[in-house]
Amino acid sequence: MRRLRVFGSLVKDSLDIITHGSKKYHLWMASLTLVMLVGMYCYSIQLEQGLSATGMTDRVSWGLYISNFTFLVGVAAAAVMLVMPTYVLKDIDFKQAVLIGEGIAVAALIMCLAFVIADMGGPSVLWHMIPGIGVFNFPNSMLTWDVLVLNGYLFLNITIPFYILFRHYQGKKSKSSVYVPGALLSVFWAVGIHLVTAFLYQGLQARPFWNNALLGPRFLASAFAAGPALIILVLAIIRTYTAFKIEDKTLKKIAMVVTVAAQINLIMLVSELFKEFYAPTHHSESAYYLFFGLDGKTALLPWIWTAISLNVLATVILTFHKLRNNFKVLFFACLILFVAIWIEKGFGLIIPGFIPGPYGKIAEYTPTGIEIGVTLGIWALGAFIFTILAKTAIKIETGAIRYNKK
Amino acid sequence: MNNRVVRKYGILSFIVLLCISCKHHEAEYHSITDKIETESKDYQGTSISSYEHIEDLKTMEITENGITFLIPTRKNEIKSYACTECHSKPLSEMQSVDLKKAHWNIKLNHANANTMNCVTCHNGNDMDELRSLTMNTIDFNKSYQLCSQCHNKQFTDWVGGAHGKRINSWAPPRASMTCVNCHDPHKPHFESKWPERYNTQKVNERK
Amino acid sequence: MSNDTKKWFSLNLGSKKKQKETTCGCGKTDGGCSFANTYNGMGEERHKDGFDQVFDVQMGRRTAFKKLTAGLLIGAGAVSTSCSLITDDDTKEKAQIDWEEQFKGNYKLMTDEEKKSTVDRLVRSYQLRTGKTISMSSQNAEENVLFGYAFNISKCQGYMDCVNACVEENNQDRKSEMQYIRIHEMEDGKGFNFNEADDNYYHEVPAEGHFYMGTQCFHCDNPPCVEVCPVEATWREEDGLVVIDYDWCVGCRYCMAACPYDGRRFNWSKPEVPENEVNKNQHYLGNRLRKKGVMEKCTFCVQRSRAGKNPACVEACPTGARIFGNLLDPNSSIRWVLENKKVFRLKEDLGTEPKFWYFMD
Repeated sequence: MRRLRVFGSLVKDSLDIITHGSKKYHLWMASLTLVMLVGMYCYSIQLEQGLSATGMTDRVSWGLYISNFTFLVGVAAAAVMLVMPTYVLKDIDFKQAVLIGEGIAVAALIMCLAFVIADMGGPSVLWHMIPGIGVFNFPNSMLTWDVLVLNGYLFLNITIPFYILFRHYQGKKSKSSVYVPGALLSVFWAVGIHLVTAFLYQGLQARPFWNNALLGPRFLASAFAAGPALIILVLAIIRTYTAFKIEDKTLKKIAMVVTVAAQINLIMLVSELFKEFYAPTHHSESAYYLFFGLDGKTALLPWIWTAISLNVLATVILTFHKLRNNFKVLFFACLILFVAIWIEKGFGLIIPGFIPGPYGKIAEYTPTGIEIGVTLGIWALGAFIFTILAKTAIKIETGAIRYNKK
Repeated sequence: MNNRVVRKYGILSFIVLLCISCKHHEAEYHSITDKIETESKDYQGTSISSYEHIEDLKTMEITENGITFLIPTRKNEIKSYACTECHSKPLSEMQSVDLKKAHWNIKLNHANANTMNCVTCHNGNDMDELRSLTMNTIDFNKSYQLCSQCHNKQFTDWVGGAHGKRINSWAPPRASMTCVNCHDPHKPHFESKWPERYNTQKVNERK
Repeated sequence: MSNDTKKWFSLNLGSKKKQKETTCGCGKTDGGCSFANTYNGMGEERHKDGFDQVFDVQMGRRTAFKKLTAGLLIGAGAVSTSCSLITDDDTKEKAQIDWEEQFKGNYKLMTDEEKKSTVDRLVRSYQLRTGKTISMSSQNAEENVLFGYAFNISKCQGYMDCVNACVEENNQDRKSEMQYIRIHEMEDGKGFNFNEADDNYYHEVPAEGHFYMGTQCFHCDNPPCVEVCPVEATWREEDGLVVIDYDWCVGCRYCMAACPYDGRRFNWSKPEVPENEVNKNQHYLGNRLRKKGVMEKCTFCVQRSRAGKNPACVEACPTGARIFGNLLDPNSSIRWVLENKKVFRLKEDLGTEPKFWYFMD
């Protein structure tokens, strides 16, 4: 009963926090809300017309939504890169950033779920997937595995920080016997979610572009490069605009993680390029389409080559200690790395998997305005949720709000 | 203490996960031919038959190469059967100037002059019957016996069911079209034609 | 507007915790409805007018949005149910049918009675909506039957009669020109070169120097599409047909990504079939009318084949290039083809075991 009262007070206090702030904050939230409303409007058009409002066709049946979903699962998984050193390696430097990282994970996961729902042909019958009420094709279908692990990860990433913040809100210390096992579990779980998402594509023998052994590890490497890059950028913003103190060495350590992951990502890219282009087979056609165009169809060329050059540039910058430790350069490198991986792992992975089709026909894919609208709306939703969570968490962590027994 | 507990539970759950992760397959066969072989061992027949779909046709049963099936009869289809109603006299006597000209529009375009002419198949003395290369009588309903003289490969395929058109139903008893149901014996060649449709959406999709 | 606002639109979240709890018929707890005003007048002091009650209410932005949506929905529901006094029995029956159809289970798990009742509901629903009667079957797989298909490449002349017959038989969407069957025109001497084949030609056929072959769903015996469906909306029946329960499909399109043979089609928009072209002999798993957002595919014309007839494509082909039958019957044509002709299948190395063979004379 008492806990309920504390919870109620926490909710009220957090509502109080998130509705007050500087002008910039209100502007940020208002613009996010506007984008979300635009996204909702576009989604309503899509619901009415059916998915023909998007650019997807029978040949390329997954497009912008699933691309963003794939990328964001990686970002969510990467939050664990902060949890692991803190609790497993007992490195205190990361402790401050853990809650922020888990907030990003929650926001990213909610975005993933939103993208999946946006992509469904029949969102009103999604209850068919609930085991017990519907039919759950576990363990055959990798999609069911994905549903389980993503929701489990969301649960973990909501409950553990919530527990910590709840305790801190009351001015008490959080018991390590409660959150450390959960934190450890989330480390393995994070690797699990991204491997399972990779297996979704890897297990399709019909799509040779995805059906290779390196897809899972590649996903992990690119996730651990893009996710912490985003975390660095977010922490930089938090440092500037709030009272939350994040030390330089935390940022530097995360940057180290990003560097190593980006390097491994590049090595894997080289390995894939070698396999596709050294002795090209019929199965290499998708790679040809992606990197060089096929039969004059070159829609993805500017995207992938931008992505690769930004990727290489970012990795090179990050490799040099002098550049990496210069924060302005670091933030720039993280930004371009994030964008590069978003392209490469998003539609640079999903679209070429479908082109050419099973009988060699090429039908290119261009997202429509509706699709872009919904996508932007969902990204705004993620940013909105993250801002809310972060603001509350920061206020609790800096001791600005505390539960006062009335 | 914490780490050990976590590790124990972790290993336990991993083992459980491994055990439940095997895909469930129903009645696994290595290949379709294995399945066909196994499941057709005691084939008893099915309750589905083609009778209701072919009962409106006039068919007759034939057995060739050990295979029995139905073919549509031909004599009731030919408009001007029986031929002897006009061909009352031998052919040579009919080819005079003052008699009506019939079948003038049938131009024989089948093989070449060395191989085929009218009397290769038709019996000039008894136009109600056909005759084989060895002068045996062949009934009009069984005109395929003539075709099989040269086209034995197609004939074998037809008897097996790989050539020609099956009528209406896949279920036994089989009813198949005969040669002359599709091929005009005087001009068996098929003309080329245009396809039945053109898909404009596909063109848009691939722009 | 209340006179104690400081910022331009921050909501007043002062210590006033007590929400005015009103339960009025339209579900909104505060403001926006005339009932609330009168209720409020009973207990509390009325220092705010209706305008203030809407704009100065104490709730967070998100809660406000939620309540607004809920209120609108409940209001719409209230309006429509209050009108039920004047709706006729047909509309009520339609609503009842739609409700039951929305919450029924997976067809594969239904008993025969449940299958019959869902078919009856669908037939009745169509009758109510259009006044026309259709016949829908829920016939199960016959014992001792395993359907197989053979395609004679030498015989196919590229006429595409099969494509037309299939579209008409299976009530496919005319607007997107959905076709289950694709006929590929290939050049002689290059083998099965799908990349350079043309599947949308429009000239006299057969064209010189080319040959033709057709593809469709091959009804694999180890179907990758069945493996990946998260809700088991697609499965392989006992007689070998891979079918879809259109009402159970959630539209995730994973099966489409998994099919190596381009066998599956998705309804990206509401499928439209002209009323006079609707084929009224339907099967629940076959050619009944689908809705938008669900998968469909060739079913070897389950409405015909389970009744003993040949599929529409087999029936339509003038050259007899298509052969269909029961693989378990040792005397069937399809078995004769498999035993006497040199047959092969597409992409055999993928291990999907398709039940669609190709051969040549």
